[in-house]
Amino acid sequence: MTDDHDIIIGIDLGTTNSLVAYADEAGPHLIAGPAGEDDVLLPSVVAFDDAGRVAQIGSEARAHAVERPATTVYSIKRLMGMGVADLTDDLSRLPYSIERRSQEDGRDVATVMIGDKCYTPPEISAMILRELKMRAERHFGCPVTKAVITVPAQFDDAQRQATRDAGQIAGLDVVRIINEPTAAALAYGLDRTEHATIAVYDLGGGTFDISILRLEDGVFEVLATNGDTHLGGDDFDHTLIDLFTREIREQFGIDITTPSIKQQLRTLSENIKIRLSDRDSAPVEIAIGAGRVYRRSVTRGEFETMIAPLVDRTIEACSRAMKTAKLTPENIQQVVLVGGSTRVPFVRRRVAEVFQRQPYTALNPEQVVALGAGVQASLLAGVQRDILLLDVTPLSLGIETLGGAMGKLIPANTRVPCRASETFTTFKDGQTNVKINVLQGERELVKDCRSLGVFELQGVPPMPAGIPKIDVTFLIDQNGILNVSATERRSAQTASVQIIPSHGLTRDEVKRMQAEALQHAREDMAAHHLIDVRTTLEFDLHKAEQMVERYGQLLDVSGRDALVAEIRGLLELAKQCTDPHVLNERREAFNRMTIPLAELAITASLSSDDGAAGQEPACKIGQETRENNRGGFGQPTLRSVET
Amino acid sequence: MAADGLNLPVKCLNCHSALTTPIVCDGCHSLYPPPPWADHFSLLGLPRTYAIDEKRLNSCFRAIARGVHPDRFVGEPEEVRSLATRLSAELNQAFDVLSDPVRRADYLLEIAGGPSAAEMREVPGDFLADVMMLREEIDQARTTGDDDALRRHSESIAARRQDTLRQIAVLAESAADLDEPRRRVLRKLLNSMKYYDNLLAELAVDPFAASARTTND
Repeated sequence: MTDDHDIIIGIDLGTTNSLVAYADEAGPHLIAGPAGEDDVLLPSVVAFDDAGRVAQIGSEARAHAVERPATTVYSIKRLMGMGVADLTDDLSRLPYSIERRSQEDGRDVATVMIGDKCYTPPEISAMILRELKMRAERHFGCPVTKAVITVPAQFDDAQRQATRDAGQIAGLDVVRIINEPTAAALAYGLDRTEHATIAVYDLGGGTFDISILRLEDGVFEVLATNGDTHLGGDDFDHTLIDLFTREIREQFGIDITTPSIKQQLRTLSENIKIRLSDRDSAPVEIAIGAGRVYRRSVTRGEFETMIAPLVDRTIEACSRAMKTAKLTPENIQQVVLVGGSTRVPFVRRRVAEVFQRQPYTALNPEQVVALGAGVQASLLAGVQRDILLLDVTPLSLGIETLGGAMGKLIPANTRVPCRASETFTTFKDGQTNVKINVLQGERELVKDCRSLGVFELQGVPPMPAGIPKIDVTFLIDQNGILNVSATERRSAQTASVQIIPSHGLTRDEVKRMQAEALQHAREDMAAHHLIDVRTTLEFDLHKAEQMVERYGQLLDVSGRDALVAEIRGLLELAKQCTDPHVLNERREAFNRMTIPLAELAITASLSSDDGAAGQEPACKIGQETRENNRGGFGQPTLRSVET
Repeated sequence: MAADGLNLPVKCLNCHSALTTPIVCDGCHSLYPPPPWADHFSLLGLPRTYAIDEKRLNSCFRAIARGVHPDRFVGEPEEVRSLATRLSAELNQAFDVLSDPVRRADYLLEIAGGPSAAEMREVPGDFLADVMMLREEIDQARTTGDDDALRRHSESIAARRQDTLRQIAVLAESAADLDEPRRRVLRKLLNSMKYYDNLLAELAVDPFAASARTTND
């Protein structure tokens, strides 16, 4: 099937954090970042400089969110496949600027504005994906070009397309898009041979999914899925933010509007939410300037009352999913929790109530989706063949019919791949094209559903009105992505289908963005390379300096002076030279020059029993580079008080 | 691995082994576009009968789904992958139709020459009058809050639905040999099923609960 050497990675592209994994015969593994083996979560945050260039991705970018709210982009997943019209809530809450991309063809694609540069959500997601791709390449020591990417089960066609586009822009062939709860089940169920029905409750930062699956003979079959693509832990935070904002306004008559303070409130609220998971109350203290302080304490009970309506929505979705699957709680053998927000005790309690059993949490809820993506990647690469995923489409697919009604072609929860056909004709004599508005959603009226785009059938042979019979096939593939093809029955001609996506990118745009991203990546890579070479040289020089200090007396005076002069000269060069080749050559020459001293030092250390001498400077340099100056936020300052 | 009661006219062109389904070879994993004679039953490697062993249907479906699912063909050329997608879609559709007792009967009537629900909307004799009367009684029970009466209604409707399904099963089993008048009888019975389902849904009783109980017995 595929080459033995074909590496496919699994990626969980999350609202808050992203991870990359792979699986081998031993099972799935997470790939860590540069900070060590625990560095598996890459915060899904991209920080830009004022010129609109990417400055940092991940933890470093997140650290800047408070100082630079307008140029630090987080929660980009909420914008994937969305138009500005879809985003009313997010527009007021996200501190960066989102605008409608002006298109003559009427598309509404939400676009992030950074300085005078604009980025579409797939482009920003691609930056995160490229970082994960690099982690994988460092791990495997070779290029990685294929990936499985997970999406919330409730993602519609536009959001899935946007995710696939992001992969392509990042230079990844997205061989499969799988649903997050399904991936989680895969991570859990790999060693299980018994038959079971399991419910996966997945509450992440921005999305909620509930999927019910049956495992039998190595087949993971999704029976039903339900959820909400705009409901997650972020919304829990917002209840606290809204509370503090309102009370500060009432007590002090101050409106919190500045982006950096909003951002600090967000961080504070997130911390309080986390703290309330294992404590009964969390005190809050917010200095609002001029010596005034807003003080209160949030109890767990208060917090639970505030989030109850949100959690209720997830519980209702669970009941709907059970109804669709024609199951009752006693038919379900296991309930699995996925996503960081399932750490909230109230969520666990409500889930236990609705399914009448304690949820199972053996795997880390923040890692399980990535592990499952890794498993699916290995299945596709042919490492394993005995497991098969059968998933469903989360939303009904239909077309606009006369009078603005939605004509359903494929109902929600139909097993994919699936297809439906419909025959269209012309209204005018000689008409050569027919437009079809394709929709997804569960409502009866077109205006309440989401338009995936207008599909224009072209090349219909000119005939009197009503005579052409154009058979249109709508096929939803295993990724949940729609493919449309059309044939005119009388002439047996294949009509071409031109798609104008309502909220997406055209193929040409994706290709152009991929080329641009590649160009930027080359520039960035060159910059990274220079930094690496420079750091290595400086590290060697500092090590040598320490050695001279300690063992320099073993050399003759001229030899020692020459070495000291060379070190000083090279330190200067390291600062100024921008050619990595020159720096590398000089470093190698320098290291040859220090060999005599190193040999003397080894002999001396052996005889004086002082073996660990040369190792200290490494830590020191590391500390210097890692220490960030994070003060200077300006007034007012916020903090939650340690108890 | 020949399916009993079914002689497939084709063997795998590649490895010559006998096929259990015309769309994929168990042995060498070659895929074939469905031949014009293939119906939902043959796609699943099952004989064309109304009586169906649910366990066997499920296990045949899973085995063939494994063979045709596009996840199996990731490194293959585009035309193989798109054939796999198309075959999976057809297999899924066949399975959905055959696993539902009402849709399975409807399908047998369709391949026997109809009439289809679009061609003939009638229901049996006094059925509509019965339904209207039932509706009135249900409304009355609801206004007076007579839960016992509501429960009795839903039980009796579920029983009538089961009874109709039994009549459908008898006719559908010999759908291919039915004369025109008897095919019309089958059509009418099938049309009446959605009235039962609507009534049961209105009574907030899952229409599947009854059939789920019988399969567990």
